[in-house]
Amino acid sequence: MPRGHKGKSRESGPPAIPTASMGDIAFLIIIFFMTTSIFSREKGLRIALPEKGEEVRIRSENIITVAVSPDGQVLAGTEREPIAIDEVREYVVRQLAENPELAIALRVSRRAPYRVMIAVFDQLKLAKAERISLVPVLDQEEG
Amino acid sequence: MKRITQRRERGVDIPTASTGDIAFLLIIFFMVSTVFRKEVGLQVILPQAAATERLLRRRNVASVWLDARGNSTIDDNLVTPELVTVVMAEKVLNNPDLVVSLQVDREVDYGRVNDVLEALKEARALKVTFATEYLEGG
Repeated sequence: MPRGHKGKSRESGPPAIPTASMGDIAFLIIIFFMTTSIFSREKGLRIALPEKGEEVRIRSENIITVAVSPDGQVLAGTEREPIAIDEVREYVVRQLAENPELAIALRVSRRAPYRVMIAVFDQLKLAKAERISLVPVLDQEEG
Repeated sequence: MKRITQRRERGVDIPTASTGDIAFLLIIFFMVSTVFRKEVGLQVILPQAAATERLLRRRNVASVWLDARGNSTIDDNLVTPELVTVVMAEKVLNNPDLVVSLQVDREVDYGRVNDVLEALKEARALKVTFATEYLEGG
């Protein structure tokens, strides 16, 4: 019985559980949790809404309007000239350079796609516009 | 000179006995900080925006979902714009730091979003974010 003999000779030493691989096991579990956990999935564009009935009056020369028409066209300024979405940023930056007090009113038609509204809002954010207001559009105004 | 050579012979040892403990502490941290999503929401394709920012403190976030088929939900319950006011007013009372995240499909008409915004104003839920995806190269 060479096997039995071998086993006996092993037992003669003090018994020990190998702990060297504990760290490896633990790190494997860490990696599992790191890859499966989702950190703050919430992301988006921030806006602070005004309180109902506490709308701030701003002098008309300090407001520029950026409008989105029902077919998704972007109209800028009082002249309501159509501009491309990616030109909005440049336009707003130019206007802000002239008048840092400027507030931007974003007037979006009820029938305009949300996608376009976000694209324009994104441009305003990129232009570092601080004062952005979403102006509700009434049904009868659209005709 | 002689002493230095003597020390070298002994060999350098980094104690590794505590790496397991360190690793388990990290595990516990990740297990505690992991929040599993409770809300299922609706199927929406979010719009893309280059100025997208991350929202911290997820516990303060409540989501309103609007999908392209005309459904809107809060906490997986179908709601109408009038109900949004009621539900959100209660949530804001319980947590004044509440941020409302609007998970709106990109093809939704803006009118529906506007109705929700008006309802949120009514509910005094004034911190709002439009959920978006990162747009590369903005």
